Amino acid sequence: MINRTTKLLLLMALGLMSAIALSACGDSDSASSASADSPTIGFLYVGPKNDYGYNQAAYEGSQAVQKAFPDSEILQAENVPETSEASRVMEKMIKDGATIIFPTSYGHLEPALEVAAKHPDVTFMHQGGQKTADNLGTYFGRIYEAQYLTGMAAGMMTKSNKLGYVVAVPIPQTLLNVNAFQLGAQSVNPKVKTTVVFTNNWCDPGKQAEAANSLIEGGADVLSQHQDCTKTIVETAERKGVMSVGYHEDAGSLAPNGWISGSVWNWGPLYTEIVQSIVDGKWKGSDFAGNYRVGFADSDAIELAPWGGEVPGDVKSKVEAKQKEMKAGDFYPFTGPIKDQSGKEQIADGETPSPTELETTDYLVEGVVGKIPSQ
Amino acid sequence: MKPADAATLPAPGKTPTRRFDPRDLLASAGWMKWAAPIATPFVIWLLLPVFAIDQQAVITRATPFILTALAVALPARAGLINVGGEGQLLIGAAAAGAFAKFAGDGIPLIAMVPLMMLAGAIGGLLWSGIAATLKNAFAVNETISTLLLNYVATLFLGYLIHGALKDKESFGFAIGEQIPESARLPQFGETTVHFGILIAIAVTAGVWLLIERSRWGFKAQVVGGNPEAARRGGIPVGKTVMVALLLGGGIAGLAGAIELCGIETRLQTGMATGFGYIGFLCSWMVAHRAAWIPAGATLLAAISVYGDNLQIDLGLPASTVYILMAAIVLVVLAYRGSSTGKAISR
Amino acid sequence: MIVDVITGAVRYGACVVFAAEGETVSERSGVVNLGTEGSMLTGALAAFAVTVWTGSPVIGALAGLLGGALPALLHAFLVIDRNADQLATGLSVTFLGLGVTSALGTGFVDEKISGFDPIAIPLLSEIPFFGDVLFNYDILTYVALLLGPALWWFMKKTRWGLILRATGESGDVVYAYGHSPRKVRYMAVTAGGALAGLGGAQLVLASTLNWVENITVGRGFVAVALVIFASWLPIRAALGALLFGAAVSLQLQLQARGVNVSAFLLGMTPYVLTLVVLAIASRGQAQRMPAGLKAVFAPGGT
Repeated sequence: MINRTTKLLLLMALGLMSAIALSACGDSDSASSASADSPTIGFLYVGPKNDYGYNQAAYEGSQAVQKAFPDSEILQAENVPETSEASRVMEKMIKDGATIIFPTSYGHLEPALEVAAKHPDVTFMHQGGQKTADNLGTYFGRIYEAQYLTGMAAGMMTKSNKLGYVVAVPIPQTLLNVNAFQLGAQSVNPKVKTTVVFTNNWCDPGKQAEAANSLIEGGADVLSQHQDCTKTIVETAERKGVMSVGYHEDAGSLAPNGWISGSVWNWGPLYTEIVQSIVDGKWKGSDFAGNYRVGFADSDAIELAPWGGEVPGDVKSKVEAKQKEMKAGDFYPFTGPIKDQSGKEQIADGETPSPTELETTDYLVEGVVGKIPSQ
Repeated sequence: MKPADAATLPAPGKTPTRRFDPRDLLASAGWMKWAAPIATPFVIWLLLPVFAIDQQAVITRATPFILTALAVALPARAGLINVGGEGQLLIGAAAAGAFAKFAGDGIPLIAMVPLMMLAGAIGGLLWSGIAATLKNAFAVNETISTLLLNYVATLFLGYLIHGALKDKESFGFAIGEQIPESARLPQFGETTVHFGILIAIAVTAGVWLLIERSRWGFKAQVVGGNPEAARRGGIPVGKTVMVALLLGGGIAGLAGAIELCGIETRLQTGMATGFGYIGFLCSWMVAHRAAWIPAGATLLAAISVYGDNLQIDLGLPASTVYILMAAIVLVVLAYRGSSTGKAISR
Repeated sequence: MIVDVITGAVRYGACVVFAAEGETVSERSGVVNLGTEGSMLTGALAAFAVTVWTGSPVIGALAGLLGGALPALLHAFLVIDRNADQLATGLSVTFLGLGVTSALGTGFVDEKISGFDPIAIPLLSEIPFFGDVLFNYDILTYVALLLGPALWWFMKKTRWGLILRATGESGDVVYAYGHSPRKVRYMAVTAGGALAGLGGAQLVLASTLNWVENITVGRGFVAVALVIFASWLPIRAALGALLFGAAVSLQLQLQARGVNVSAFLLGMTPYVLTLVVLAIASRGQAQRMPAGLKAVFAPGGT
């Protein structure tokens, strides 16, 4: 018995591994062509790169980098969990020649810091983090500015004065977006309320569909969302004949009737600029070597998705006027006084906290219905 | 239907007579019995560079697999099917994390890591205790209860991480607190390999002694083979079952503490996803024989780590590794199963 | 609110009903199939892919049946002809299904389909309360609602149902009466997988309209637990699946109405509830377990 298992295990090990080794050999050598002008760049995504969402937006950014640096090799890794698994993937990329690494999910920060400490000659740019190191900078977009604008549009277009928001998990970025959405909506419609539902999962379409259904049955006639994969909620809203606001990516083609607009990422220019600064040797000391945050006023990284066909002209013009104010740096969504659900003042009158200060948000603003889990 | 488990146990005493098989020649060499399970993991490990698989990563990955496999193998000796390694591991990690947060201050440096391990083991043990109690007091089948408790454990960990165990310094993000430096498992020299592998090997030896050489192991085997006979022979069946399942859960919980102290350094949802199930496959692959578990775990760890290469070099999704793992285990199961007699084929 | 919770339960639970009924058929023949989760995944991807190619969700649903049957057939071959361990084989089959669908499914994540829309049954759907609760679903959900009673009738009243149940109790007896228990088990396991595949099809064609990796997130394992929860009775299995759906639906409906609940704690309710019911009902249940399963769940026989 023992002998049989021995032989079996050995045979399996040998046979299988030689098979996979043969298949891998051809590709792993190709990294050698990298030079200083065309660095090898690694991108890590937490989900699939064609999810109509967060990861697709980042992936499209990487494609823009490829276009700007045609001789660079871009290493891609999808579905990288936000655990120590991520450090292994980064180590592997470095072994394959990567000198610049973009870990794009918030949970990739800790592993990235750890790997960065071991490889001082590799530059890391983390998407959304708040901690930095000598060779690790972070960047993010003030996407809540766009959420404020879509909230305005939703607030003007709702008939039931009930907006629905399907959130994955409660973290500052999601809470900020919900808050901005509600603030935008109530700035044009004081009666409007936003109800949040948490799914506890970044991408469980079955649950998303049911969460959307329950919001619609609860009376919401515009759905917004913060999920990694976004198609299902937009499509569910369309089927049920209610309006939807997108996130991460333009999903207007999925909902020809109900689509209003959405907050979308346009990472390409920023990624390219970051890579260029590293290639030029100017990264150290630049804005990127810290916590870098961009909004309407200072970049094109965030955008409003194209308007849906049913959106009336006065809504468009009102929202676009506000967008102009933001672009000119004259308006910030989180300008005090802002009260949380319990009525407590979180931002004092006239104050405008910095983006990094805002990224510690752990409350929902007045007018949002629903509770943050575990509070 | 003949229980597959009993059929694969080495026959006590002598080998049964059968037709000549060239493999018998090797089997008759007594040293093979000892050397093979110990040598196999090394052989696999030494072959890794040929396939560009990170040797150090395989060791750290095999560590939890060994433990979650033992967490299946030990209860299996008493006829129990523990599918709950996944949840027991997570609760073990949560218990260790909670210990570091609430009781970690003022503990002497040298005691910190052992106490973290103990906390993890107790956490896993208590979690499997739910299934054990349900079985003994309410006759709930442990296969189902341990499986369901995996989902509860995942949600419970999420609850803790979003609440009591949340890191207040983490800018509101839902992750656990960084465990203190003193609670980290030391690493071998300049490598990334932590001492967890030593613990895993020690536990393997302990489990082997327990089930192959101790009185309790024999009792458990009788209970697993025929509880009625055991009862008549005066063996406390309920107690043996309870102990087997508790120990299994404790070992899985220990794996959780090791992952926390050796790899993750903070609690988070999604940590160690699938480790419990992979351990389950590993144990069944080697027919629950403790001595062979390191070999099986090394092989599965090699495949698991190979996932990175598949992704980055070939652009395949990371979960493609599941195809490789499943294929290996299925071939082993089919090969071994066919030799244990025809039970339900007619 | 009550109507919404119930309709939500049916919408969310329908795919679990299919998987649980499939597992019931399989286990009634004496084979446990933990590969149900894998069958749901292959069924879901097959259904989605074929719908993308043909534009017809009906053909997609049929493909879902076939897609779910394939892993089950592998399971049947391994446990029946190769006498491999049932639980380990089933789990491996699930892993295989997860890996294969992840690898093959990447190209389908950004595809758009039009699936099954709810069909309100004329007149009946006008009845207050019952009209909404019973007569306003998509076609596959109607099938799911009818599946429990249909299987009950099949097992209780038909000759083949009797043979199926007898096989699970004692293959020898069935053999003695001139039937092949091997054939019966092959058919039962494969049919069970096909039903689970249809459950996966329902998920993607009627609920999500999308494919993503690991889209079932454990619903197939829940189905296996529900079968034992239901003492291998088809109507109870369907009710169990709907109860599971109700627990999820209640949690989401409460949140959507602004009731303050912890989503994590409420998320546990379906599993805890199942365990509690098992604890209450288990003593009686052991007697209902098909004799052929005892070797799997209690190798020594407790």
